Amino acid sequence: MKKVAYYKGCLASLSAKELDFATQALAPKVGLELIELESVTCCGAGDIHEAEPDYYLHLNARILSYAAAEGVDTLLTVCNVCTLNLRQANFILMGDSEVRARVNENLVSVGVPAYERDIDVRHLLWEIAEGEGYELLKSAAHRGLKGLKVAPFYGCQILRPSKINGFEDPDRPWSLERIIEACGGEAIDYPAKIKCCGFPIIQAREETALGELIQPIEQAYEAGADAIVTPCPLCHLSLDAWQSKLKAATGRDFKMPILHLSQLVGVAAGVEEAELKFKRHVVSVKPVIEKLQI
Amino acid sequence: MQVGLKIWRFNSRSGERELQEFEIDAPEEATLLDCLDIVKDRHDGSLAYRKSCRMMICGSCGMRMDGAAVLACKVRMYDVAQEGRVPVISAMGNLPIVKDLVVDMDPFWDKFKSVDPYLQPGYQEPPDGREHLIRQERMNVIHKEALCINCGCCVSECNAMESNPQFLGPQALAKAMRFVGDPRDGEKLARLEKLNGEHGIWECTRCYFCNERCPKGVDPRDAIAKLGAESMKEGIDRDMGAKHAKWFVTSAKTTGWLRETELVPKTQGVVAAIKQTKFALDLAVKGKVPPPFPPHVAKDVREARRLYDLTVRESGRRGYDGIVQGEHALARLAHGHSGDESLEEIYDRPGSFKRPYLPDDAA
Amino acid sequence: MRAAIEAYDAGADVAVISKLHPTRSHSGAAEGGINAALGNAAEDSPEIHAFDTVKGSDYIGDQDAIELFTREAPGDILQLEHWGAFFSRRDDGKLAQRPFGAAGSPRTVYAADITGHVLIQVLYEQLVKRDIKVYEEYFAWKLVENDGRCQGVVCWDLLNGGLHTIGGKTVVLATGGQGRIYRTTTNAYACTGDGAAMAYYLGVALKDMEFMQFHPTTLYPSGILLTEGCRGEGAYLINSEGERFMKRYAPNAMELASRDVVSRSEQTEIDEGRGINGSVYLDMRHLGAERIIERLPGSRELSMTFAGVDPIYDPVPVRPGAHYHMGGVQTDNDGATELTGLYAAGEVACVSVHGANRLGGNSLMETITFGRRAGRAAAEWALSHTTIDVPASVESDAERELKSMLGFSGGERPWQIRQDLGTSMLENFGVFRREEQMAKQIEILEELKERYDHGVVIEDKGDVFNSDLTQAIELGNMIELARCMLQAGIARKESRGAHARPHDYPKRDDENFMKHSISRYTPDGPDLSYDEVRFTQYEPMERTY
Repeated sequence: MKKVAYYKGCLASLSAKELDFATQALAPKVGLELIELESVTCCGAGDIHEAEPDYYLHLNARILSYAAAEGVDTLLTVCNVCTLNLRQANFILMGDSEVRARVNENLVSVGVPAYERDIDVRHLLWEIAEGEGYELLKSAAHRGLKGLKVAPFYGCQILRPSKINGFEDPDRPWSLERIIEACGGEAIDYPAKIKCCGFPIIQAREETALGELIQPIEQAYEAGADAIVTPCPLCHLSLDAWQSKLKAATGRDFKMPILHLSQLVGVAAGVEEAELKFKRHVVSVKPVIEKLQI
Repeated sequence: MQVGLKIWRFNSRSGERELQEFEIDAPEEATLLDCLDIVKDRHDGSLAYRKSCRMMICGSCGMRMDGAAVLACKVRMYDVAQEGRVPVISAMGNLPIVKDLVVDMDPFWDKFKSVDPYLQPGYQEPPDGREHLIRQERMNVIHKEALCINCGCCVSECNAMESNPQFLGPQALAKAMRFVGDPRDGEKLARLEKLNGEHGIWECTRCYFCNERCPKGVDPRDAIAKLGAESMKEGIDRDMGAKHAKWFVTSAKTTGWLRETELVPKTQGVVAAIKQTKFALDLAVKGKVPPPFPPHVAKDVREARRLYDLTVRESGRRGYDGIVQGEHALARLAHGHSGDESLEEIYDRPGSFKRPYLPDDAA
Repeated sequence: MRAAIEAYDAGADVAVISKLHPTRSHSGAAEGGINAALGNAAEDSPEIHAFDTVKGSDYIGDQDAIELFTREAPGDILQLEHWGAFFSRRDDGKLAQRPFGAAGSPRTVYAADITGHVLIQVLYEQLVKRDIKVYEEYFAWKLVENDGRCQGVVCWDLLNGGLHTIGGKTVVLATGGQGRIYRTTTNAYACTGDGAAMAYYLGVALKDMEFMQFHPTTLYPSGILLTEGCRGEGAYLINSEGERFMKRYAPNAMELASRDVVSRSEQTEIDEGRGINGSVYLDMRHLGAERIIERLPGSRELSMTFAGVDPIYDPVPVRPGAHYHMGGVQTDNDGATELTGLYAAGEVACVSVHGANRLGGNSLMETITFGRRAGRAAAEWALSHTTIDVPASVESDAERELKSMLGFSGGERPWQIRQDLGTSMLENFGVFRREEQMAKQIEILEELKERYDHGVVIEDKGDVFNSDLTQAIELGNMIELARCMLQAGIARKESRGAHARPHDYPKRDDENFMKHSISRYTPDGPDLSYDEVRFTQYEPMERTY
């Protein structure tokens, strides 16, 4: 078992609790021992970075510091936005000793240990797409997806900017496809899989956001996908919950089930449906469940 | 080496599109632009594309290779040819195509011009016509924005512009930041007010395609974040996007986690939020609307609150400086080297060229 | 753009015509800096700047023009700073200045290694601020001469097709250089000498055409420029033995000797077998990663992209490459040419401030100072004269010519001629020049001209973005200018500045050749004559660095 610090972020703590449940249930099957961080806050989701950038840096330094205090090398995330925000803060802190010294002084003054050790922030996707995690995944996914047609949707901030994320080619990513196939599903290819779901502006500029949101759903639908899978709970929220608004705006009801990465792998690995919490989805996942007869 | 190219041809008069394949012989050091030159000279003189400097500074040759906007002169073809890949070359996105790989840049320049892209001198004219006295660190605030060569690669890929062509877009906003951050400019507040408009900074969807594609390291998305931070510092925060961002700050310092349920009314206002009631109820049934009370409070959240006091309340908002402070470290990522090796280690590297005669050696 | 801004500010109705969008002009590729004696980094004065420039010119720069140039340069730089130019700064907040080749003081104002880019941006910003009309992607083909003066330009609208004649009481040429005559050059594809050729066809005098500067540090194999700023920051030039060979050629200035001197030294090393693949190495390793990343990021990026070498770890292969044409359309100190109403400024012009060899950092400054002067003079002339008269035949003649060009078939494609021109010019009229090679090149040029005049095939018959057509026109311009260069070159039986004849005339010959060459169009080829050099106070001396 690989011990990792687990940072679940806001959504998995709140509206996307199903993601947290599914991740916790899945982790041991793919060789991960999750040490859940308790004294942590929101990463700022890019919003604090834009509103109060210095506060953003301190909040993230605090999260990194508590992860380092657990004695692990890896901080595991289950959200694109958390991944980018934490990795960016880590590069800033590790790459500039002056900035780090000032931030640490502030951390220490409020009772947080100084952050000195370089922690690797990694998304669950990366842990199970290669290496030991992938090998375990392959053997754990015994129930399989029975040829389910799954459209991978990466979202933005796990791919770009690649100089900060850097796991895979941001234009030709492969990790979700590899996982879908290892689980016995069929990965659907479509152009919008690396584009934006519109979430960051879905409240402030709904029309513009819906213009983005429709692309992956429509393309996946037309390519015959049974479901879309995403590694990001924010993408999940817009893809799942805002489909009704797409229907209102365009008259098209796609009824496209949206799965969290942990749920998809969880299904294949035989995690009980009760732990995957499909009932918490807005768009019904029933057709998928029926297809898999679980 | 043999290079294969599939090129999307377009005839604006007839509206015809056609994907043509070419197989050419090119020198090993050839760039995509060199290959297009060979196609044009020896295979089809009617192929249209822009070019000039062929050294990544004039910004003429923006186009798409396999769907990604690139400067043709910057792409070496050796690896592609070795892999036997035949890339698809097409015109940039989000701009009307004129012919083949040439797009109409007018919409691009219209947006550029709309941000008043010139210095509007401030009140402090230096004496005797001398230069303004400005420290280099102060100028570094806009160093990245000053690198922009107007090639349009960011605009080509902007997801928000694709959905809403009225969005000002990454290039115009980076150019705007170049003046907002210039200490010699006297119109910062007026600029920020304008940039906070309907199709301004808060329409950016943070897809980060602009940062990814920019061939010069301008990082337009970061420029937009700087504009947002500076707007907040100056109290320009009426936009829903700004309120959205502020609510995250409030959440972090009060409960630690996002207070999700209150986000909609805090962003859109209570009246607009009520209109969303049906939508919200649908979500609530599924547990997507966590009850605001009792709040979900992070452990030791007073630390986060105290950090807020230290970084914002007591030392004042930092605006774009809060983002600029990280650029030095992030620039190292782009360059790909820590640069920690000593000169001796460099000379000792396998295959390294011999140490030169140095002036000190003469003694 | 500087001329247009000045003309606008003087009250004239002005438009810019450019075959590229203005920000795509090749001035943007200038990296190292722009010279003005501000004295921020060390003691300096316009007089010292003038002395350096006169000496660098190998004494055929016109001294009144140079004095005026160095005197007005500081004011022009400060104006650019007030317009918002993004220059690098000193610790005290003043404009930073770096040392450049053959300069008596660190006087090169810069913006990291993107100085030209920064200037292009600030000038375009000022154009936008004034809402000056720009005919973007209009290819200037012919000047209109009527009634003994220049009254406009016949242009081809690249984007939409169609010939347009744009009338003007005065026309300022600011079309840049002609480096594309050579196969390896630092110049952009756009640098094809269109302006000089247009003036030449009208019989306007071209001056000092034999002087083509070879820049010492252009990347192997592409010819892309690495700034002199690399050496300004302390980079070494080394040969295959690891030796800093400049100590044998310029023991005091070393790598920062004048460009012609450094290029010749490199070529000698290469010719004598101490090169590496026809190159020498530019070594920056000792500068350290920090300094390279901070001060020379663009040069590092270019090295990595186009030569596959990271200068932090390895030396970069460089060789001399055609860079800057000192000669051009003869003008007075206000940019006026022989033809009333026609002005020129920048690399297309020859005032001459550069003489036989230009100093690094002086070309950007020339575009600004003389651009301003030409813009002012052109505006004043236009404002005091009233009519424009463009005969209808101008456009109809051009239409006919265009039709015949597009209609031609059965000949060769232009690229073959272009390639032969570039290769032969580099071989026979490069850093070192021999009598017999020049004679041979004259014959080659006649043959190329014959092939071109016979007709070339333009495959694109359409209107929209027909760059096949414009590239064919550019080729014709380059062949004509090359003929002028060769004729003036073979006649100059001495070595001066960039014109080096080590095998037959290794010395400067002030007695016979302290003069400008003048080339004029005749139907039978260029006609060569000479003009006096204007002196003030600087006596010719031997040039050592």
